[in-house]
Amino acid sequence: MPPSSRRPRQPGAPAIDKRSIVRYVGITLFILLLLSLPQFGTGADLIYKNLFLSTAIVALGLDVLIGRTGQLSLCQGALFGVGCFTAVQVGAAGAPWPVAFLAAVAFTALVSTIVGLPSLRIRGLQVAVATLAFQIFLISLSSTKPEIKGIGTEGITRPEYLESDQRYYYFGLVFLGLTVLLVHRIRSTRSGRMFVSVRDVEERSGSFGIASGPAKLLAYAFAGGIAGLGGALYALQIGTPNDVSPFNLQASLILVAITVIGGAMSSMGIIVAAFFFSAFASLSYIPTDKSTLVQVLFALLLVLNILVYPRGVGGSFTDLKDQLNKLVFGPAPRPSPRPETTDAVAAASNAMALRKTPRPLRERLPTSTLLVATDVTVQYGGVRALDHFTAEVRRGEIVGLIGANGAGKSTFFNAVSGLAPVTGSIVFRGQELVGAPPAIRSRLGLARTWQDMGLVRADTVRDNLLLAQAWMARYPAAPGLLGLFSALPDERLVRHRADLALELFGLSHLKDERLGDLPYGTMRTVEIAAAVSSGPDLLLLDEASAGLTPEEAHQLGDRFSALRDELGLTLVVIEHHVPLIAGVCDYCYCLESGALIAEGTPAEVTAQPRVVESFLGKGSIDRSTDHHVVVTDDLVDDAVEGSPVDDGLEVARA
Amino acid sequence: MFLEELIRGLSLGSAYALLAVAVVLVFTGTRTLSVAMGEIGAFSFYAANDWRLDGLPLVGWRYGVPTMLLVACLVGAAMGLLIERFIMRPLVARAPLDKLIATLAIALSLALLELNLFSFDPIQAPVPFAQGTFYDVFGAELTSAQLLAPPVLLVTVGSLYAFLTKTKFGLATRATTSDPDVARLLGVKVNRVYLFAWVVGGLLAVIAALLTAPATSLIPFNQTTLLLRSLAGAIIGGLDSLTGAVVGCLIVGVVSTLFQATPLSFAGADGSILLLVLVTLLVRPRGLFGSPRAAF
Amino acid sequence: MTAPLTPLLEVHDLCSGYGKLQVLFGVTLTVGEGEIVALMGSNGAGKTTTLRTIVGQLPAMSGSVALGGKVVIGRQGATEDTTPSLLSRFLPKKAVTPDDLVTQGLVLVPEGRGMLRDLSVEENLDVGAYTNKSSSRRKELFARTYDTFPILAERRKQRAGTLSGGQQQMLALGRALMADPRIMLVDEASLGLSPVMTETAFNLIADVNRTSHVAVLLVEQNVLALDLADRAYVLEKGQIVATAEGQEVRSMQGRLREAYLGAGA
Repeated sequence: MPPSSRRPRQPGAPAIDKRSIVRYVGITLFILLLLSLPQFGTGADLIYKNLFLSTAIVALGLDVLIGRTGQLSLCQGALFGVGCFTAVQVGAAGAPWPVAFLAAVAFTALVSTIVGLPSLRIRGLQVAVATLAFQIFLISLSSTKPEIKGIGTEGITRPEYLESDQRYYYFGLVFLGLTVLLVHRIRSTRSGRMFVSVRDVEERSGSFGIASGPAKLLAYAFAGGIAGLGGALYALQIGTPNDVSPFNLQASLILVAITVIGGAMSSMGIIVAAFFFSAFASLSYIPTDKSTLVQVLFALLLVLNILVYPRGVGGSFTDLKDQLNKLVFGPAPRPSPRPETTDAVAAASNAMALRKTPRPLRERLPTSTLLVATDVTVQYGGVRALDHFTAEVRRGEIVGLIGANGAGKSTFFNAVSGLAPVTGSIVFRGQELVGAPPAIRSRLGLARTWQDMGLVRADTVRDNLLLAQAWMARYPAAPGLLGLFSALPDERLVRHRADLALELFGLSHLKDERLGDLPYGTMRTVEIAAAVSSGPDLLLLDEASAGLTPEEAHQLGDRFSALRDELGLTLVVIEHHVPLIAGVCDYCYCLESGALIAEGTPAEVTAQPRVVESFLGKGSIDRSTDHHVVVTDDLVDDAVEGSPVDDGLEVARA
Repeated sequence: MFLEELIRGLSLGSAYALLAVAVVLVFTGTRTLSVAMGEIGAFSFYAANDWRLDGLPLVGWRYGVPTMLLVACLVGAAMGLLIERFIMRPLVARAPLDKLIATLAIALSLALLELNLFSFDPIQAPVPFAQGTFYDVFGAELTSAQLLAPPVLLVTVGSLYAFLTKTKFGLATRATTSDPDVARLLGVKVNRVYLFAWVVGGLLAVIAALLTAPATSLIPFNQTTLLLRSLAGAIIGGLDSLTGAVVGCLIVGVVSTLFQATPLSFAGADGSILLLVLVTLLVRPRGLFGSPRAAF
Repeated sequence: MTAPLTPLLEVHDLCSGYGKLQVLFGVTLTVGEGEIVALMGSNGAGKTTTLRTIVGQLPAMSGSVALGGKVVIGRQGATEDTTPSLLSRFLPKKAVTPDDLVTQGLVLVPEGRGMLRDLSVEENLDVGAYTNKSSSRRKELFARTYDTFPILAERRKQRAGTLSGGQQQMLALGRALMADPRIMLVDEASLGLSPVMTETAFNLIADVNRTSHVAVLLVEQNVLALDLADRAYVLEKGQIVATAEGQEVRSMQGRLREAYLGAGA
């Protein structure tokens, strides 16, 4: 049920931010420069300028893989070749160029998907090595079988209206423009957010409802399709490829160099780097005997770039923009990095709206018990991290999970999230979770946070909240890419919900800040906001106080109560520092070495000798004095008084 | 026929193994997967050979072939030292992929530098590596370099192994390999171990280049292509095991010669190596002899 | 027992953490020559962070650490007024690394015992003596270690990764002593050990302290550590919340229980 988005949420919002003027002027200048490029130098240079367009297109596609998805592919040169050969073959068969282009895009996307298959099982460096192997293999194949390259055929021929190299440049520029738009579009869609979550928090992306395997393959297919487009453009330029040097290992390495020097996720930076790497050295201003030296300089620049300035050319554009802005408009106002205090009335109405999730009715029916774990055992090699753990969580409760180091608390969360090898049964609202893929949890109404912050630090606060709701935006990749997202009700819904959640947690003023730039305590608040925005019924909070300043930690109890009372959430909280949660928990489980050693109200549990021993060590009991017994009694009274749940529940437990 | 191919394959594999040992040493020592080893070797070789003919830059000293071998080794070791100290050390705490990209940039720079600094003309091959002289070993015709590869491998790997197991610094190296943080807590100067890994890695890369680089023409990235085979061998054997590197590379060598002879030819050989690598990565990511940490 | 004898390790107002995440908020503690000091705290209190900062594995955000009167991390109030030489201002500040401290007589037994798993017991001990140049002293140390920990002599050829938890703890302690330290920092010696083994380990630490006069900073959750300590600190949420000396140390249990489990006082 999409909310009425016509309600004006930002009264009197400025039409255009004056600070973005500098950016638009810069982009306009850049486009003008590209348009006037054929005017410089001799006509012979056009060949290289055309090659530059193809290279830039392939590099932009590669950046989606490297910069966005974190997959280092070393065979993009070969895929460029696959696109080129496909277009040549299809063109030689007599098809007009649009058909050849489409065929090249489709076939290269397919090959790239195959190249990406190993990444379903292996990671990082291994993927890089596997793609390196593909690079060598594909080029070997084309040099042993010349017919693949379309040698001996007519090749693909340019239509009359593209005969002139200058016209062809503008023809190619159109495709470069389209590629830039496509790559930018990807950022604001579900696919782009999936890619980033694979890059930064791969094993956790399941908790956002994202299956990382298909996301990776989509990224490979996308980058491959773009490489195919670049290859086809090159094919139409040259007719028949007479050597494979634009597609060999060196070309692949240069493509990686271009994306790295260009700066991850900066189209302008990548286009500039592509120009310097692929065309500049061959231009007529540069004496032939110096051309390789120029390339050497660029390669050295790459080394320097990695060492000193990892943000690349794109990063210096951004810095330049900021400097200019500062010069013209004065220093930018910095929002306070702390959450603002929120309005209670707004909170209540926001809470209502956030609780409305697009979930089948069956999964929204009220139940008294939300989560029932029976005999849950997790075994890692010879270590039994969780041993026949049985627990129950009822609607509206705050349940504490305590225990010393290595007791198995986080292991239990991982078991519930589907990230640990589990035997036994975990039933969430009647649905068995053991054996189900991790990605279904968020749909069922389960969300969690992580001990060490499980969001994407490189993205903005708002993007992270959109990421957390990935399960709600279930539209396919293509319409999102084609820029139709504004027409998609799903996307509208998640954006609205993100705004509501930000408002609720007093984070609205920080929505465009990079998450990683915020103080740790604020990051943790964003994480909780993200989990809440995904519309859960049960929220699992791992080490909620980790990284908070002592003052922030002391307010934690209030926050838990608020989450329950205002949002109607049920909470399971892991906390090392027991005193922090003893006051707010309705029920408490204490683990030791994977086994349950006590359960009950916090007062009961902390008074149990086995629990005291587990925290303080053996032999500590004999020496305990009467003093402690008295103190413990006080605690019981406190807990009962402060507990918002009536005693009936406690009786029912017994 | 089969025996011939086997011998040729083992000889080829030995040459790959030298380069693979360089990769493994750097990987275990510094947790960096370096794709620059091939070009370090090639660059040193071409530089030493170029200077042999044209005289040492600035000094103008010309030397003979035996000295050239020494000069090449010195250049390789010096490059290892410079690369570690000024490029890789500042990157020590970075992600493995960043480090890989850095070595990739080094490989790219060196290959382009080779093209620029050294002549394109067929360079005069030094005598021990001249092609055209063949030795007959059980029916297999081997060039002198191919003949030399297995014994050279045996000697280098043997002495490296002895160094690692018998000396105090070798012990420190192994401690660092096992866990750099703990080694540092025990007083080991870990940075020296990193330096050692790169210097010896550079040295081994040069020896591999002397035995494999085409002596009659300069083909940039030829060594990187070769490196892929070494890397394939190292991955099959386990990236953090010297034994693994040697055994893996011998397998790759034999497979590639056996498939070279089939009508599938070169692509067939690379195809089968690709398949071997993929199967290893998917089925046993740590390789035949690797420790669990080799599943990088 | 009153004030510490000669202060050997002085940690003053130390703040530290991981990137943006601050964990320590001004930790001050002292270990005297030949003393056993316990730093008690529950999980997440910042115990390991304290140790990692002291040895230079983590950069300190502020505060100082002095070893034997010599400042090794940060600047100390007393030395602050001495103007640094002109030259030193232009030189890059060299961060202290754990291996420097080993040569200065401070060694850390890390959490989880830090086994060099692929190396044998003997090789582990040998690495422990890495900073000891004289081979005769190394021989003596080997003899002393095998004497104190007979189980290690028995298993000298076994790979360290295959030892049991208790044996690994023996090896970790023995290995640290091979460096001839003046002070040994021990991170959760009791972790993963059975109560009996914990007691054995603590007794060994007490023995070593008596016989070779090595100062020990025991960083523990387990209250048994209080039995050996001359002085104790309680760490809670990155701050020292209680200190006790001499006889008072034994009676700190109540305070600890409050820190770990809460007492609602």
